[in-house]
Amino acid sequence: MPSVERARELATRAVGMTRADQAEVVVTAESNALTRFASNRINQNVAEENLSVSVRAVIGTRVGVASTNRLDDSSLAACCEAAVSAARVAPADPAFPGLPAPRPFVMAEPAAPVSWFDAPARARAVKAIVETSASAGLIAAGKIEVSERVAAIANSLGVNVGMPVTEISATVLSMNESGSGWASHLGRDPEELDPAALGAQAARLALRSQGPIDVPAGEYQVVLAPEAVADILDFIGYAGFSAKAFSEGRSFMSNRLGARVVSDLITIVDNATSPHSLGLAFDYEGMPKQRVTLIDGGVAVGPVTDSYWAARLGTANTGHALPAPNQWGPMALDLEILPGDSTMDELIGGVEHGVYVTRFHYVNVEDPIPMTLTGMTRDGTFLIEDGKVTSPLKNLRFTQSAIEALASCSGVGEHRRFVSIEDGKVLVPGLRLDRFSFTGQTA
Amino acid sequence: MREIIEAAVEAARLSGAEYADARVVDSSHEEIHVASGRVEAIERSDSFGIGVRVLYQGAWGFAAARDVGTASAAEVARRAVAIAKASALVTGRPVILAPESPATGVWNGPCEIDPFLVPLEEKLSLLTAADEALRAETAVTVTSVHCGFHREHKWFGSSEGAFVEQSFVESGAGIEAYAVSGDEVVTRSYPTSHGGGWRQAGWEYVTGLDLAGNAPRVAAQAAELLTAPECENAVVDLVIDGSQVALQVHESIGHPTELDRVLGEEAAFAGTSWVDIGDIGSLRYGSEHVTVTADSTIPGSLGSFGWDDEGVPAQRDHLIRNGVLTGLLTSRETAPAIGRTSNACMRADGWNRIPLVRMTTVSLEPGTWDFDDLVADTDEGLYIETNNSWSIDDRRLNFQFGCEVGWEIKGGELGRMVRMPNYTGMTPSFWASCDAICSADHWQVWGLPNCGKGEPLQVAHVAHGAAPARFRGVRVGVGR
Repeated sequence: MPSVERARELATRAVGMTRADQAEVVVTAESNALTRFASNRINQNVAEENLSVSVRAVIGTRVGVASTNRLDDSSLAACCEAAVSAARVAPADPAFPGLPAPRPFVMAEPAAPVSWFDAPARARAVKAIVETSASAGLIAAGKIEVSERVAAIANSLGVNVGMPVTEISATVLSMNESGSGWASHLGRDPEELDPAALGAQAARLALRSQGPIDVPAGEYQVVLAPEAVADILDFIGYAGFSAKAFSEGRSFMSNRLGARVVSDLITIVDNATSPHSLGLAFDYEGMPKQRVTLIDGGVAVGPVTDSYWAARLGTANTGHALPAPNQWGPMALDLEILPGDSTMDELIGGVEHGVYVTRFHYVNVEDPIPMTLTGMTRDGTFLIEDGKVTSPLKNLRFTQSAIEALASCSGVGEHRRFVSIEDGKVLVPGLRLDRFSFTGQTA
Repeated sequence: MREIIEAAVEAARLSGAEYADARVVDSSHEEIHVASGRVEAIERSDSFGIGVRVLYQGAWGFAAARDVGTASAAEVARRAVAIAKASALVTGRPVILAPESPATGVWNGPCEIDPFLVPLEEKLSLLTAADEALRAETAVTVTSVHCGFHREHKWFGSSEGAFVEQSFVESGAGIEAYAVSGDEVVTRSYPTSHGGGWRQAGWEYVTGLDLAGNAPRVAAQAAELLTAPECENAVVDLVIDGSQVALQVHESIGHPTELDRVLGEEAAFAGTSWVDIGDIGSLRYGSEHVTVTADSTIPGSLGSFGWDDEGVPAQRDHLIRNGVLTGLLTSRETAPAIGRTSNACMRADGWNRIPLVRMTTVSLEPGTWDFDDLVADTDEGLYIETNNSWSIDDRRLNFQFGCEVGWEIKGGELGRMVRMPNYTGMTPSFWASCDAICSADHWQVWGLPNCGKGEPLQVAHVAHGAAPARFRGVRVGVGR
């Protein structure tokens, strides 16, 4: 694993080797280890080391990209030349504004050391997780992952940034034939992971989920735990907050800036600038990420941008570029829903007859503008009666506009959690939504 | 390369491993993407590295690195053994691999015209022509046209004496038209959605798709969809096109018949399965029309190879015969649980991932119907094409799929177009309702280059042979 300085040197060297009008190089080094368990034993245990260099060459407004993980001089030179060759052939793009000029960026502090959290330490943590389930006659499955990454970005206009990112994540599914429970952890410091407590949390939920009953399909009041909220926010962020989708009329915010789109209890920001953020503080063009308010008290404010889409829309570059080449446009990778003032008991206490959802499974978009999603509940779905969680329920399928659901929000939790999603992580509270359609259930 | 792999295997043995295998993978990828008149991506990427998998006291360890040489391979192997020793601290029954004769040989996939040698100008010309043809329809305001190429060269060796070398090229391309008006966004794709069509083939596959020739039809249908009515909530007889049948097979037959899922190995992430190992030979999975095979020998399929990533030779096996479950997708580790040897389904997403039980070409075998006859035989129903969204529960029972387009069937004829029809069901009752499958004339292998599974996530390139089929009494228009 190279140091940040070494990665920045490599990026700068590759910029110098790229014979184009402009050049940008992204260096990504990673050291990942993942211990996976199932049936109360470690079933997979892997580690990898990699380092890749991606070169974006610009000739006029023609752009080409090439990448490699071979770092000998001739391979690196061939990669730079491949990017230049592609740029020579690419059609001119009159809308391409050129690579961005450097902006002030404060280098991050070194991450907490994680080398001690090696394979034997992870195995001991798995043992602690598994024991709580095994002692209750349950089966545990999940993972513990340690990810160390260094990213460095340089361009021929003087951008030269780098930072390390460390992430510790753990998931636990505890189950038997009659029910299952779930717990997860995401943070930067392995010292913050309490495996026994995590295992116990999943096992408790599994025991409480035994003997689920049926409820008819229909519209219910729901309380979504943070993990379930994360599943919803993941898709809103992916399909709704990019300047590209917004500009093309494919986002729920298209043509609706300044309008109230969801409940005034909901404020959504993208915020890589806070001390607790787990992601990169700059984007893949080396621009410092800005804190962007996307929805303010229910009102649509605007999408995130990168250098290309900021120029096209005539707005500020918010620093949300993905690695080039990028077909998806800028992306909000550090989403937060701001906290409310309700405890989880208060959220549940406000429901006369409804459903509590721990998490969802396999959510997908059916219709992008109303953001109609479908998916299943999983690992802890309960009936709420007269303000109290009562019977466990069989897993339910929902088919629901996420925007309409958030418009019916009547309570926001005061406590938030980081949750891993497919393309990053989100910081979210629990929510109470007054209208949520379940359209089927598992047998 | 043999020397490097042998160095890894020997280092693992000296460190105490009772079994070791090593894979070196050298891959290249090219992606060209044109969207709404703009070239959004011209990218070439290369990746090279070695992964070593070992068993120590019946527990697995795996390590991978991008440095490929005898010394670094030995170091990676020692790291893998150290990890396996940690795994042995929390172990159950020791892993025992099903017996397999050590594989040796060379295998190359089919490729007539090496796409990496085709000039970029030629590729851009083909894509730009298709993009312009899409944009000729004024209602189409957003387009997406792409081609992609993947080349992989890999070497595998094991402590049992296996050593094989394999290479293949995959080519893919597709077009998408978006018609946007107010709060409506509709999509139409060709040859299918989510990455277009893919084959183990060369540039000849891309030119054979005739993207520009199909663009006017695709664009016109996108425009028509804007004003088409929504599919109403109803129970109908549903005729599904081959590409969506392929995805239905993928989600509700392919995944639940992966033996690692059945055994709970994927429980926390992708989920488990409604199928049990005791169901083989007795579980009625579908109607007597439903016969499903797993075949890694079909020339040109994304699911084909000479040997899987633990050296088991490619083969054809039945998963379902005339509606009854007869087999599962297996590996050397899992196959003994059903008293069999591996049917060659272990596949890894590159040098830095372990092989997992994956689909190869999992196909619904063709029936006897002509498509026109099938529609004519359907008095009242719906015909749908091209997947738009997909979702299924963690046991692969309750599913809901959306498609781009549908046409009502009335009196045995296709009628009014409907927008974004979805349908839902439960796996066994849905497949039990299959009463007609089109013939081999309508059957083709659909490449699916984006099957996600495992932690860390792996993306497998798999395939499904499928033809249009009819299902009786299916709920459509969910949530409408």
